[in-house]
Amino acid sequence: MNKTWLVAKQEYQRHVFTRRFLFGLLSVPFFMLILIGLIFMIISMNNNTTPLGYIDQSGLLAHPQPAPPVTPPEKSVPLRAFADETAARQALQAGEIQGYYLIPMDYRSSRKLQAVYLKAIKPFPRQYFYNFLEVNMLAGVDASISKRIMAGDEIIARSLDGSRQMSSKNGWFGLFLPIIAALGFMIAMFTAGGYLMNAVVEEKENRTMEVLLTSISPNQFMSGKIIADILIGLTQILAWLVVIIIAIRLASSRFPFLQGIQVSPQLILLCLVILLPTFVMVSALMALIGATVSDAREGQQMTGLISLPVWIPYMLVALIIENPNSPLAMVLSLLPFTSSLTMLIRQGVTILPAWQIALSSIIVVVCAITATWLAGRAFRLGMLRYGKRLRWREIFQRKAGAA
Amino acid sequence: MNKTFTVLKNELLTLLSRPSFWLTTLGIPLVAWLIFGVVGSLQGNNNTSSALSSIFSGPADLRPEGYVDQAGLIRTIPATIPAGTLQSFEDETAARLALSQGTISAFYVLPKDYLQGGQLFYIRPDFNPLASSGSQAGLFQWLLKVNLLGGDEQLANLSNGPLEVKEVPLVPQATRDYAQEDPISFMIPYAVTLLFYFLIMGSSSLLLSNVSREKENRVMETLLTSVTSTQLLTGKILGLGLVGLLQTILWLGTGYLLMNLGGRVFSLPAWFHLPASMLIWGLVFFILGYAVYASLMAGLGALAPNMREASQVTIVVMLPLIIPLFFSSSVFATDPHGPIATVLSIFPLSAPVAMMARLASGGVPWWQLTLTVLLLAGTAVFIVRAVARMFRAQALLSGQPIKIKTYLQALFGRG
Repeated sequence: MNKTWLVAKQEYQRHVFTRRFLFGLLSVPFFMLILIGLIFMIISMNNNTTPLGYIDQSGLLAHPQPAPPVTPPEKSVPLRAFADETAARQALQAGEIQGYYLIPMDYRSSRKLQAVYLKAIKPFPRQYFYNFLEVNMLAGVDASISKRIMAGDEIIARSLDGSRQMSSKNGWFGLFLPIIAALGFMIAMFTAGGYLMNAVVEEKENRTMEVLLTSISPNQFMSGKIIADILIGLTQILAWLVVIIIAIRLASSRFPFLQGIQVSPQLILLCLVILLPTFVMVSALMALIGATVSDAREGQQMTGLISLPVWIPYMLVALIIENPNSPLAMVLSLLPFTSSLTMLIRQGVTILPAWQIALSSIIVVVCAITATWLAGRAFRLGMLRYGKRLRWREIFQRKAGAA
Repeated sequence: MNKTFTVLKNELLTLLSRPSFWLTTLGIPLVAWLIFGVVGSLQGNNNTSSALSSIFSGPADLRPEGYVDQAGLIRTIPATIPAGTLQSFEDETAARLALSQGTISAFYVLPKDYLQGGQLFYIRPDFNPLASSGSQAGLFQWLLKVNLLGGDEQLANLSNGPLEVKEVPLVPQATRDYAQEDPISFMIPYAVTLLFYFLIMGSSSLLLSNVSREKENRVMETLLTSVTSTQLLTGKILGLGLVGLLQTILWLGTGYLLMNLGGRVFSLPAWFHLPASMLIWGLVFFILGYAVYASLMAGLGALAPNMREASQVTIVVMLPLIIPLFFSSSVFATDPHGPIATVLSIFPLSAPVAMMARLASGGVPWWQLTLTVLLLAGTAVFIVRAVARMFRAQALLSGQPIKIKTYLQALFGRG
């Protein structure tokens, strides 16, 4: 058993204490930052603070009340009233306004507007004008009521027993937390798994394995590699978590919706009973691939076969979120490859029945054990073969001892 | 020059005799046809599609939703709300009882201090706040609004903003701007960007694996005794390029046919059909983009000691192509002629992908197209020459590890 740890330690050190690993570790938060920056840039592109004109033929805006204040990143836009279209069009051609709205005589009954512009009016100024309209439509109503309607409702979704609740004020951000967690997990799982596969193939290719196996049993070798693989993955996840937690701490004062993030105990439970066994299963399968293929390139092609089913729920994410209890979602959360991502997506939006968690966990644990067993067997059969692939049939056919 | 042709012929023959090549080349259009066929036939057949949708989304929930009005605000139920979709309850206990008996699917609680706080509780057994319970979504909020305004439905409607906005642009807009809300118009530039990314990357990485494999197993040493390095490179680029071109034509042709047939199956609007000029521009940008990226990849393959190390550096070379992908769902869909999209589509390294995305959304000025093609052609010539220099025997035969710095130095003729 001692030698297993030796292998694990060596493998861990070999991969973690390199520049490449550090680079990969930092690149994920880095790309996230870039992505967030991009999103902000795109949002700010929706602003345009050039004045916006309007022509009121309906008389609804005879005594206009100012538009309600805006919240950043939206910016308020000066509004200018024009008496007729000629004046407005002149101002538009002169570049004094970015566009103008024409409110026809029968607006009260038809609710039809005309937007005139040279370049389409951006979403934020458009919304600002609509808010301005709304305030003035509600001008005759009691102040407390019009204020209520303008501010909008805060819908708080709650489960029957009140154990979980989520407010629309946070933009349902909490729903996506499990998905983000699952994505991080998957990325870590496949990077670490890729290292494992490459390490096995490489050591097989350059005959290091022959030397190693004179002093260590194949089982010890394999379990050591798998343990190291999982530790590498966990190191990555831990590092990202630290970065994310620090980022949230720093940002939550500026973006109040981040304060609504809560990590539920169920999420942690799911990580332990479904994600961890999935990790073991994938690592074992990666090692299995490493032991059966003849070179690294072939191995990479085979990895695709594993990663494809794992990403299926990600492609169906919209469908699963909208109908978390559909037969499709149920089936996906029981199948060993798809269960981890599906369960986490569903966890955010619904209450998972205990039997489903238990069943899904049992299935994936059984699969993980089988995969590890298969990997050990394939390894014993295939370790000394060079240039020739181990056939899948052979893994099942021969008795382990016969090799 | 004769030897270039020999290299070319050999590359073509080896690639075309591989079953995996034919599998991807023919398999992808085949799958696309199948999907279109299945979807098309499903649309004609209501039974199957409803069975499918019940698998994907579960049985439709037609039960009413309840509400408990603790604030005493709801007095009238407007006629616009269909009878039997919202049910009033005296208190929460009664609502919970109805929920447990299954007569309602969920209920709202309007607390006493609603007017001050604006909070609404929505209690659902499955908790999902995003569940679309059929036509009921938003119905309760409408009821609440009408009642807040004293039952004046017209006023409630007015406060929802305009029903219809007629857009009157004073100058002609790019062809498809008016369909911005249409999800399909978002999809087209996105799909085109993705397709071009995969085409260019797929065919140029063929070259990478080819060169680095021959370097690794020392075939190249033997080859270089009888052909010059320039002949070898040109032969390889041309040979693999022809194969890539064949694939591109096949895929683009299938896509073009499907788009036009799709008009019948999906009853898509007429503007959706891709113009034939797209096909021609697609070929131009593919050839130029391929020349640039394939040479870059070949340079990588020549410098890296083995396949594994070469593929680690690939990301650096591919970065300019990936950047437009980042933007494809945002900038190229919403503002295809804005500054970012324009710069990306003119900058030669990102042009093959970015310009195609802009062409797909239409209305690219002629001078920009011409400029881009010229710039891209210039870059292609420069890079092919630079890489041919890199293909010196010394670099090809050495086994030193690859670094980005050495790669760039070699590319620009230093070191």
